[in-house]
Amino acid sequence: MHKGTGMKRFSWFAWLWFMIGAVYFIIPLWGTFVFSLQKQRGVLSFAAYQSAFADPNFWESFLFSNLMALLTIMASLLLIVPTAYWVRLRLPRLRPVVEFITLLPFVIPPIVLVFGFLKSYSQPFTLFGIPLFPSLTSNTLLTNFLLVMGYTVLALPYMYRAVDNGLRAMDVATLTEAAQSLGAGWGTILWRVIMPNLRSALLSGALLTFAIVVGELAIATFLARPAFGPYLALLGNHRAYEPAALAIVSFGLTWLAMGLINLVTRGTQAESIVTGAH
Amino acid sequence: MAFLELSGVRKIFPNASSAAVESFDLAVERGEFISFLGPSGCGKTTTLRMVAGFETPTAGSILMDGRDITTVRPNQRSIGMVFQSYALFPNMTVAGNIGFGMSVAHMPKDEIQQRVREMLALIKLEALGSRYPYQLSGGQQQRVALARALAIRPQLLLLDEPLSALDAKIRVALRTEIRAIQRQLGITTIYVTHDQEEALSLSDRVVVMNQGVVEQVGAPFEIYNFPKTAFVASFVGTLNVVDATVVDPNTGALEVAGQRIYALPPLAGRSAGQTVKLALRPELFSPDSTGLHDENCLTGTVENVIFLGAVVRIHLRVGETLLLMDEFNNPNLSVPALGATIHLYFQRENCLLLVQ
Repeated sequence: MHKGTGMKRFSWFAWLWFMIGAVYFIIPLWGTFVFSLQKQRGVLSFAAYQSAFADPNFWESFLFSNLMALLTIMASLLLIVPTAYWVRLRLPRLRPVVEFITLLPFVIPPIVLVFGFLKSYSQPFTLFGIPLFPSLTSNTLLTNFLLVMGYTVLALPYMYRAVDNGLRAMDVATLTEAAQSLGAGWGTILWRVIMPNLRSALLSGALLTFAIVVGELAIATFLARPAFGPYLALLGNHRAYEPAALAIVSFGLTWLAMGLINLVTRGTQAESIVTGAH
Repeated sequence: MAFLELSGVRKIFPNASSAAVESFDLAVERGEFISFLGPSGCGKTTTLRMVAGFETPTAGSILMDGRDITTVRPNQRSIGMVFQSYALFPNMTVAGNIGFGMSVAHMPKDEIQQRVREMLALIKLEALGSRYPYQLSGGQQQRVALARALAIRPQLLLLDEPLSALDAKIRVALRTEIRAIQRQLGITTIYVTHDQEEALSLSDRVVVMNQGVVEQVGAPFEIYNFPKTAFVASFVGTLNVVDATVVDPNTGALEVAGQRIYALPPLAGRSAGQTVKLALRPELFSPDSTGLHDENCLTGTVENVIFLGAVVRIHLRVGETLLLMDEFNNPNLSVPALGATIHLYFQRENCLLLVQ
């Protein structure tokens, strides 16, 4: 009885703090939402949303950022999955070094990073007078490539941790050896054994990367690319209601992404519980 | 020529002070079932992993069917392996797991399906092909792992403590099944275990290992009844290992705690007064209540009597030495009282001198 009462009291306490946190978060959001509906004087309407969506620059920047996000996710996966896998399998001693490198984007601000990029890659790269690759800001395609590389660096801490946690949850060494004994090479092992078992980790990392890329401002601005972040900043300087409407839309997209993560991860957690029962 | 030959195999891990495996020589015949038996850290799994290709020997060579595979990559050895932790691919169904090796080898789909059906029938899990590993019990998962390893028709099957994670009853049932399948397919098999009962009941030959070195290789009967070293004697089965003093090597006379006993003469390479290690199996003693035997009869005091179900184990103090005697249980067995003085008899041929 006492135990039950204690648990109930604890539960109320937890709920209280949850409510305080939720109110702290929801009130500004609600305020932004209500503000976004007040474009027409005295009437609540979706006029700001209609106006924002009617702007061709919105679609151009939104689609551009989405494309960049997809390319960043692909680049991150190509870079991080084999790296994290190999570090866990063969080079566990290097793990602290790799972890440190992946945390650097938290220490180095994007503005510093993009200046470094411009300094290093805006000139043709030569070695002993032999040109190895041209200036990465000389045309749109190469600048987009540089932008994706910048985004990949920013996504490193999130993607690496997501993948590494996913790898930690499985017996990488034994699964690798089992696949090897059945004739599989490294490519097959990564593609058919490791990646499918990292499904939820990869999705988490990908969605976080997506969220970072779509909202990123500094790199895209200094590389002069028509991304969604600079568009939002510009809009905020000239309009009142549309930025609020787009902020709500961004929140909606982020929540949708988080919901998807939950949905996918829930199935995996249930599987782990059943496996643990054996 | 043997099917699998390990010659002078040695393995030292980086930064290790001693070798994990030292001077390992073994010739395995085609279709033979060999067990590596020993305590944790004795090098049995390391040796198995070198055969599988997951570790490279520091020295020595491994030949399979006349081909040197010492440095061949694991995925090019045609060796099936079953792991202690099953190692089934969680993202694949049972059928997907069994068919994996064949799909890697780009076999036609209908052939893969046919072989998967055969394998499912072999492990008697025909109805579970569409299940995922997490939906199976431990025993079922290990059966699937066995089927997966066999599906690729490997030349050699390796099993690394495959039953250790299972409970006792399933372990016994599954080991019988493994042996039956091995006999049915005639596949050369190496089985790693620290469980002597498993090794003795399954194998054609047992390799007993200790601290990276092979202590003895022989048939289970030979390993159990004629252990060559004190380690084998103590590790395989329960054994009394006692210190005895040689009295006369020509007649086989020895002395244990001041009492005269006889081993089969002559005691080659021993001299009078030398202390030797003597091995005596507890089940080869018999109580001598009538005092009929005038030789190989030891007298001692009962210190403890332990009921083990089929066997009753009596602890007998003979001087400084503690001897164990096993008697088969039966309802009419008269168990000696604690503190009673009794006599144990054993035959000369059951008295085994160990290499030290």
